Amino acid sequence: MVFQVALAQQVVTGTVTGQDGMPLPGATVVIKGTSTATTSDFDGNYTVAASNGDVLVVSFVGYNAAEATVDGATADFSLTPSNDLDEVVVVGYGTQDKKSLVHAVETVGSEELEKIQATSITQALQGTVSGVNVLTTGGIPGAGQTIRIRGIGSINASASPLIVVDGAVWAGGLNSIPQDQVESISVLKDASAAIFGSRGSNGVIIITTKKGKKNSKGTFTFSSNFGSQSEAVDIHETIDTDTFSKYFFEAVVNNNQYELGQTNAEARANAASSFVQDLGYNPYGTGAVSPIDSDGNLVGAPLWDTNWYDALVNSSPTRVDHNITYSGGSNKTNYFFGMNYLHQEGQVKTTWFDRISLRANIDTDITDKFSMGLNMSFNNTINNTPNQSGSGFSNVIQWIYTIPNYYPLYQRNLDGSYTLDSAGNRIYDYGSRALAGGVNGSRTLLTDENAAGALEYYKFENNSYNFNSSSYMNYEINDKLNFKSSVIFGRDSFDGFSYVHYLYGYASSVDGRVTQNRNIVTTLSTNQQLSYSDTFGESTINFDGIYENYALKVSSVGAQGVGFLPNVTVLNGSTTPESVSGAVSEERLESYIARLRYNYAEKYFFEGSYRRDGSTRFAKDVRWGDFFSVAGSWVITNEDFFNVDEIDYLKLRYSYGEVGNNRGIGYFPYMQLFSTGWNNLTNTGVLSQSVVDPSLSWEKTATSNIGLEFELFESKITGSIDYYTKKSIDLIYDRPLAISTGNSSITTNIGSIKNSGVELTLNANDVIKTDDLSLDLGFNISTNENEILELTQDEFISGTKKWMVGKSLYNWFIREWAGVDPDDGYGMWYKDVLDADGEPTGERETTKEYSEATRYYLDDNSSLPKYTGGFNANLSYKNFDFSTLVYFSLGSYQYDSSYAGLMSGFERNAQGHPDLANRWQNPGDITDVPLLLNASNDFNATSTRFLYKNDWARVKAISIGYNFDDKMNEKLKTESIRVFVQGDNLFTFTGHDGIDPEQTLSGLTNSRSSLMKTVSIGLNIKL
Amino acid sequence: MKTNRLLLLFTLFSLLISCEESYLDDPAPTSSVNSSIVFSSKAGVEAFISGIHRRARSQFSNTHNGGLYSMYYARDVKANDILTKATWFLWDYDHTYRAPNFGRTTFSWQFPYYMINQANIGIKGLSEATGISDVDKDELMAQFLGLRGFYYFQLALEFNHHPSYDANAAAPPIYTEPATDSKPMSTISELFGQIKSDLSQASTLASANRINKTYLNKNIIDGFKARVHLYLGEYAEAEASAAAARAGFSLNGSQYGSGFDDMSTDETMWAMAQTTDQSNYYYVAPHSFADHENGAYQGTFINNDFVQLFSDTDVRNTFYHYYSTNTAAWFAWVTSKFTFAFDSDMIMMRVAEMMLIEAEAKARQGNDAAAAILLFTLQSERDPSAVASGNTGASLIEEVMIERRKEMYCELGVEWFDAKRTRSGITRTGNHRVFLDLDPDDKRFILCIPQSEIDANEFIDDSINSDRL
Repeated sequence: MVFQVALAQQVVTGTVTGQDGMPLPGATVVIKGTSTATTSDFDGNYTVAASNGDVLVVSFVGYNAAEATVDGATADFSLTPSNDLDEVVVVGYGTQDKKSLVHAVETVGSEELEKIQATSITQALQGTVSGVNVLTTGGIPGAGQTIRIRGIGSINASASPLIVVDGAVWAGGLNSIPQDQVESISVLKDASAAIFGSRGSNGVIIITTKKGKKNSKGTFTFSSNFGSQSEAVDIHETIDTDTFSKYFFEAVVNNNQYELGQTNAEARANAASSFVQDLGYNPYGTGAVSPIDSDGNLVGAPLWDTNWYDALVNSSPTRVDHNITYSGGSNKTNYFFGMNYLHQEGQVKTTWFDRISLRANIDTDITDKFSMGLNMSFNNTINNTPNQSGSGFSNVIQWIYTIPNYYPLYQRNLDGSYTLDSAGNRIYDYGSRALAGGVNGSRTLLTDENAAGALEYYKFENNSYNFNSSSYMNYEINDKLNFKSSVIFGRDSFDGFSYVHYLYGYASSVDGRVTQNRNIVTTLSTNQQLSYSDTFGESTINFDGIYENYALKVSSVGAQGVGFLPNVTVLNGSTTPESVSGAVSEERLESYIARLRYNYAEKYFFEGSYRRDGSTRFAKDVRWGDFFSVAGSWVITNEDFFNVDEIDYLKLRYSYGEVGNNRGIGYFPYMQLFSTGWNNLTNTGVLSQSVVDPSLSWEKTATSNIGLEFELFESKITGSIDYYTKKSIDLIYDRPLAISTGNSSITTNIGSIKNSGVELTLNANDVIKTDDLSLDLGFNISTNENEILELTQDEFISGTKKWMVGKSLYNWFIREWAGVDPDDGYGMWYKDVLDADGEPTGERETTKEYSEATRYYLDDNSSLPKYTGGFNANLSYKNFDFSTLVYFSLGSYQYDSSYAGLMSGFERNAQGHPDLANRWQNPGDITDVPLLLNASNDFNATSTRFLYKNDWARVKAISIGYNFDDKMNEKLKTESIRVFVQGDNLFTFTGHDGIDPEQTLSGLTNSRSSLMKTVSIGLNIKL
Repeated sequence: MKTNRLLLLFTLFSLLISCEESYLDDPAPTSSVNSSIVFSSKAGVEAFISGIHRRARSQFSNTHNGGLYSMYYARDVKANDILTKATWFLWDYDHTYRAPNFGRTTFSWQFPYYMINQANIGIKGLSEATGISDVDKDELMAQFLGLRGFYYFQLALEFNHHPSYDANAAAPPIYTEPATDSKPMSTISELFGQIKSDLSQASTLASANRINKTYLNKNIIDGFKARVHLYLGEYAEAEASAAAARAGFSLNGSQYGSGFDDMSTDETMWAMAQTTDQSNYYYVAPHSFADHENGAYQGTFINNDFVQLFSDTDVRNTFYHYYSTNTAAWFAWVTSKFTFAFDSDMIMMRVAEMMLIEAEAKARQGNDAAAAILLFTLQSERDPSAVASGNTGASLIEEVMIERRKEMYCELGVEWFDAKRTRSGITRTGNHRVFLDLDPDDKRFILCIPQSEIDANEFIDDSINSDRL
């Protein structure tokens, strides 16, 4: 260390002012090259001890930093607000000034991220970025999202965007990154993704964590919030025991009369006498004697009326989130440390999610040419997620929709008293007791299960530990040339454990079952980047040359065993091992990347990139692909000829690129292999897998985008409008084969899809701006049209959709409901009238035979929305701030199969919906609900009867905060304190009740648990 | 200087993590193997054959479309001696499970073709293999050819009438090597040409060696040949094949009542074996349907008229009343022939069947004396109080046909097989649950061509089913 003779120090004072001369309190004043720092006071005044010749650096958030050399006892600083356009945007392999962007890239910054509670960070993209369709499917806390950027570009390969976190391609879930640690999220929507080459065709989402800033005071923030949750949309209603009994009786009468031909009197008498045998249970206490007479009157009130919802759903699940961060920087080093704890409960009882996350990001200069950095994070998430979607018997939501209140929660005797176990406790009713006399023992629905018992006795625990680090060394060769070398490493270990009880439930016949899986995913990638930048005359040129390699390894081990003693839930305790599994999968990618940026006078910008990727997912001779992009923009307002006062900034930009997709197809989809495990007694056995296409290669998407960015009326209105087309060719598609070949399909490159649409973003800044009050508004809307350009055959039926050239992937192809025949109450569907050659004449008739009804392709009904977008408002009044974010989706159609099940009219003895009150009862009744009928029928089979228009809007976030004023802060020695009340998903407006409008892209529902709305109170403190 | 040292370190660091030549070549699948490993040694090819046998006894589609065993049981319930309650296989019993988009139709096409494709992969790989001796190659090739011939025979039975009905009737396409391109329908005479060629070539190449009774050897392949020749009415060849097939096996009536769940019995020639960890669980037919005391579905019942054919001392008289003694009720008689457990073996070929084929072939060639002796050998083994009938001519043939039903009920669908090959109908008598008669050459003896094949095969269109629907 060189010893310097200190010049005489003096006290230097001054004032820091900002826009319009307003004083800036809390501005940081630092003596450059030292760690001496101070902050300005409430009036913008500061005091520091410095010598003449010292350089003072003054900075304040939202303003450009200023420097001045000390020359006397006073130094005032007038800071200029930093222009939105000087904002730095994160793009692939680097950053760029917003003003030099030639691509459609949108960013969500940390201020916006603070306004919503996102357990999974990509929830923040819904409604904030145009062109991004985010669906959270289901209410499991920490559940991931389905994200589609600019439509759906793939059929069989993955259509999800690539996710990159701090330069690392992120393979795992995103619920391990707390939003308080995120600085920004950039979405690369167009050819800007081309720099990611073989993985960019569905767009790229780049997440950057906070880093701290050099020469800034160390800032400590603490924030906490406590929330209470409930269903965002109430689930379907169900009927009570008495209503069920009466309706079921009517359904049996109708079956006897209309299907089996009995007279009305006979039908009623038989229905009454078989009532208890038909249902198996009798909550009216009359044992085997029917509690209902032939007129449908019940003997009295039921002894139980099980409220399954209360038994299974959490009455007010909580959400608790604590964050601590510390960031700052000296003149050589900047750092950020973050710690987070989150606990969130779900709608279904015993569902919870816990997260602990630690992060340290450090960048430091070693010499004036060398610098180094290290980002490290460690996350642990634990969750318990009992079955709450799909058709498994213990799926809680399906249980509520299937088991009527008629059946008891606990085992009951004929008189309604509880049967007790030897310890005197009640026993859950699994519906599978073989009782003498037969009543209250055997329930034919979801036998051998009890959803409440499942929640109590089964255990599911998923434990995920992940460690991620990226480190780099940077060498500034000279002022034009820079070299950076990075190593990124991640290790994700996942442990999934489930225990099914030894005595109660579906493993009771084997005395309990434990299943455990442990997967370890490691990724290692290295990156060498050489950057050159130079300016000559009015031109600036930047060039990057990059070499990157990436390796992924998945190692999984699993074991399962049965036969456990009470309270033993580990595999050591199993009497018989049932299975053992283990496998290793690997993939690697090698890439050469080049990017050139050029601008002339900051008026004309040009950018081109090229990437060559080699992937182990394809055979050696087809594994390399070339991906490139070109783009340019013209800042019209910088032209001399442009002189419109109202328009402050106008940029026209165009980009075109070819990007690839190799994801979601397995690790070696081109290899013709034999799978092991087909052993025949003690002889090892292998079997040939399905036929493959050895020359299987990339999907390619050509994406072009033309956009206009503008700022009007002194930047009071800013925004952009883009039109894009994406044409995907060589789709990785399972081409159907004749099954006589022994295979049903082959994965090959064939077919083509096009997506196109318009995106508009508008922001009104400072709509109102006074001393006390300010208001900003924002709005965005996007459209997307999906068209199949090429298929291997004229049409292909995929479930409820039909794919044809010229049409979309997601239009509904189902039977059309024609209502109910008033004469007999039976349901009808439409069917084409055919001529002598079997061709449709164009006329339609109705039929009561579901299998004869024609399936129609509904041109105007798609499961994808026509318009999606968001609206946000930020208001501040004195010390209060208020913000809201609304998301809307218009034009999609959704099929509610849960409602269809509840409206089945007692085909079997399952639960019903109150809307059954409108059923047909007598000849001449005009209604849309068919008669109740306890016989096999198709009334609620898939048809437009349960296809609903799904236009919806959701107030995703509302927050009201109070910021303590500066006097309070001075007293408490804090920099700021904010208390707030926040509501997430508080209001949802939909056209059809009973189901959350956010389900799946295909519009099909699955009795999944609900999304939650949260009301929370919280506190942010900054020191 | 510090900078120089750092620069040196930095360059070294960067070079260390730069490319290696084989970086992209290293990753390889770990739980699957390449065909070069499979066809490099006899053990490799045997592993492939083991996998094929395992697949045939696993769960293919659903409970009544599970595997080879499901195909046989479906044929049993289509006839007169066996009936089923309204559980799995009820639509086969009702003769309604044959439309182009139904499960039985698709499964009966898809499953044999899946196995044929595996056999074709084996035949191709083996013919190109270099590290296997000729002796071993012949033995292994025989097994693939035998399997292929066997499964084409199943297709011919399910989708076509007997060739004498119409020798040029459209029949399932013939694939003799792995393919992705579709092939057009063949004719039934071409199909049988392929079947006989595969089986006779297999019989020539086969040896008597095999790992255990779940594998094919010359005896089993000759057994397949016997069945095919019997079906086609080629009685001389049938007699020769059946005699060759059963050489080395003997009858053992005392093991008859052991539950038909163990392939180690003397009479078993070929079986599909199970263990508790290699099981198709409740799919196993007929055990899980026929065993009313340990089974799952309690579906199989016996026609009263059939029960009356048995003498009280016949070991095969395994019939008893479980639900009702009222012989007019359809649920009157059940059988204890099969014992169900997750490890029950499924017996696929027995020496008794070969004896009966040989006897019938002799009788039909006019060799009544030899036929009667062979027949009585079996009858006396089964029933200590049996008396030789002294039948000749048509009544001897009739007696053999009845003996086939008595011997092999609920095993291989003999009634249905015999009705097809003799161009007779099936008339339901006795205490059936559903009375439905089939005329001779009734179209309900065959299935439609599956819709999924028509949709994906450019050579086949909907008109193929116009006379099957």
